[in-house]
Amino acid sequence: MNNMSPEVALHRISPELRPLLCSVVRNGRVGLDSTNCLRVTDLKTGCTSLTPGPCCDRFKLHIPYAGETLKWDIIFNARYPELPPDFIFGEDAEFLPEPSELPHLVQWDAGDPECLLQLVKELIQQYHQYQCQRLRESSRLLFEYDSLLEDPNYGRNMEIYAGRKNSWVGDRIVLVCPSFISIMSSLSQDTALDPGEDVALLSVSFEDAEATQVFPKLYLSPSIEHALGGSSALHIPAFPSGGCLIDYVPQVCQLLTNKVQYVIQGYHKRREYIAAFLSHFGMGVVEYDAEGFTKLTLLLMWKDFCFLVHVDLPLYFPRDQPTLTFQSVYHFTNSGQLYSQVQKSYPYSPRWDGNEMAKRAKAYFKSFIPQFQEGAFANGKL
Amino acid sequence: MAEPTVRMPGIVLASLMFQHVNSDSDVEGLILGESKLEEQITISDSQADHIQIEEIYNIQKHITCHKLNNFCNGMGEVNLDKLKKILADSKQSVIGWYRQRRNTDQQMTFREKVIHENLKKALSNPHMIFLLLTPSKLTPPGSTHRTEYAAFISHGRQFINVPVLVNNLGLLEQLAYWKVSAACSAAGYSRTMKKHGSVFFNSTGSLKEVNEVSKMYDSLQFELRKACRDVEESERRVETLLADVAALRKRVNEKRGHRMEKDTDAFPPEPKKNMLLHEALEALLSCSPLFQTQTLTLQAFPVPELCCSADSGTDVTTTLLGPEEVSNNDSSRAISRKRLKKVPVRENKKSRKSESQCATLTLGVSVSASQEDTATAVDDD
Repeated sequence: MNNMSPEVALHRISPELRPLLCSVVRNGRVGLDSTNCLRVTDLKTGCTSLTPGPCCDRFKLHIPYAGETLKWDIIFNARYPELPPDFIFGEDAEFLPEPSELPHLVQWDAGDPECLLQLVKELIQQYHQYQCQRLRESSRLLFEYDSLLEDPNYGRNMEIYAGRKNSWVGDRIVLVCPSFISIMSSLSQDTALDPGEDVALLSVSFEDAEATQVFPKLYLSPSIEHALGGSSALHIPAFPSGGCLIDYVPQVCQLLTNKVQYVIQGYHKRREYIAAFLSHFGMGVVEYDAEGFTKLTLLLMWKDFCFLVHVDLPLYFPRDQPTLTFQSVYHFTNSGQLYSQVQKSYPYSPRWDGNEMAKRAKAYFKSFIPQFQEGAFANGKL
Repeated sequence: MAEPTVRMPGIVLASLMFQHVNSDSDVEGLILGESKLEEQITISDSQADHIQIEEIYNIQKHITCHKLNNFCNGMGEVNLDKLKKILADSKQSVIGWYRQRRNTDQQMTFREKVIHENLKKALSNPHMIFLLLTPSKLTPPGSTHRTEYAAFISHGRQFINVPVLVNNLGLLEQLAYWKVSAACSAAGYSRTMKKHGSVFFNSTGSLKEVNEVSKMYDSLQFELRKACRDVEESERRVETLLADVAALRKRVNEKRGHRMEKDTDAFPPEPKKNMLLHEALEALLSCSPLFQTQTLTLQAFPVPELCCSADSGTDVTTTLLGPEEVSNNDSSRAISRKRLKKVPVRENKKSRKSESQCATLTLGVSVSASQEDTATAVDDD
């Protein structure tokens, strides 16, 4: 398989087919996993080798589906660009959709750049139904699927992969945790890390028809994972032996919901904290994190002694206490850094509101500064 | 269950490949031939009778569609009218269809499966085959290409790959090479042959087409021989002409060589004296003004202009001037000698002059010895 960038593929494709391929490689996000887009490889031509290029008119399309990647051959004819494409569905030789149920094939419009992408989406829907049909070979899995289907929270966002014969790949059900969809927008995100869409997918693999070996996995988009505190911050429970998906999936969703709610609350609390400090210290605020509200720096003066206070708020604030770092503006350490002291233990209660925290912090500053000043004079150098 | 096999003559396969090689896109068409079921019963004493049924598809011909989707649309629906139009002149039955597509896998596509099913329904033939040929480049530079071929039949929604046997390629059945048709005593066969035999066979029993082909072959051979003869004659003429040209060149070169020798003779580096010519000139033209110099002898006779030198040892004076004039010259010589003794300074010059005078007087030639000197000597006298 030769990976190629979209630009290379577009350069090699026959000019009449270029608009169709352009929308596939640039806007081609299908299925539940919208972070993975469609990929094109193995670009070839149906013309003779004497035909001058670009004249490629057939390629392999890689489609993410239910944790797998479908590899479909799409075959055009450069000499007949007006004709609709033909497909080879890889190893799924038995997949034969009904042409009349593919509207964009029935009314194929070679002049519409979106036509191919829409046709691919329709084929994937048909493929999903084909996989659901194959589930009927196993009564247990069919039961799991039907039970989830009845629940409107999950039924609309599921992908089924019924596995392959003589292969270690078992049956798999992948679904979107619906609780994520509604609350994604309220999470603060670092868009520089992941400007893409947010997605949380729960993949449950059944290695045998009796569901004795079930392996769940949770896939989060990078921004969500970061917002929740990294991959180690979240652990989903194991699938209970003899359990059912209809019980397990809501359990996982609830766990995630609680986590997200906690993170959201923390965000609001941090914002409140910063606002209170801005109110109390006014012109003493040097800078603060206006997006995530995780940092704040103050420039204060006590008896002609100026000093900086850096406040770092942890992810699970207010459960975890903010860290205060006092820094002298006059004194340096031997390593050339400004003399500073870190304070993690000071009067604090997570039950205080932001205003109270600001007041208490102010009082603490007054009590600690003489000690800090002495330390700066004693250990630092001008 | 019947085991299907597809048999195809090598010429049909070659024709299919040739068609696609000359096409710049995928091609498709219909396959004509016959399909039959053969039952093979194996009788054995050791085990029960074994019956093997073989379904054989004999491909005999193919019809090319000049463009894609000629008899079907983009959804795979078959257009029966167009199909009948394609099959209008064909008397054989359709047993399937084919498609050739470059650089793709040896698998039926989505639309091919749909077309196959629809074709079966349209032609009311549940036993149809689909022949797939997939040429591809074997080496990156494209120096070697390969064509894979396979046949498919459908059972329900499943499409089964059927082995294709190409006649004349590894299938050396004795029956395939019959030169004489087997005798048949059936009355029906005889009636059929009587009715239709004259269309295909001569009175001698040989195929008419074979005779026609042989005649065409003979004509072709005749034309080839004629062309060969013409070429041979032409080559011989060319050979002769080349020999003539070579001979002419040789003569030209020889003549050039002679001419150069003559030119060399006409202008020798040291011209030789032709005394006979000299005498002849003297005899004929001695008195001619053209051969007289401006120099006068003491007797006021002009000195003839001659080219001979003293080295020849010839007394030119005698020969030129004649005996009566020689005595005059002698006296003038005596006078000139006397004068030289009186003036020693000028003697040298005069001696030189006198030498030249002597030379002049003696030989009567030397214009280069200066005509002035000769004149001076004369004036002094």
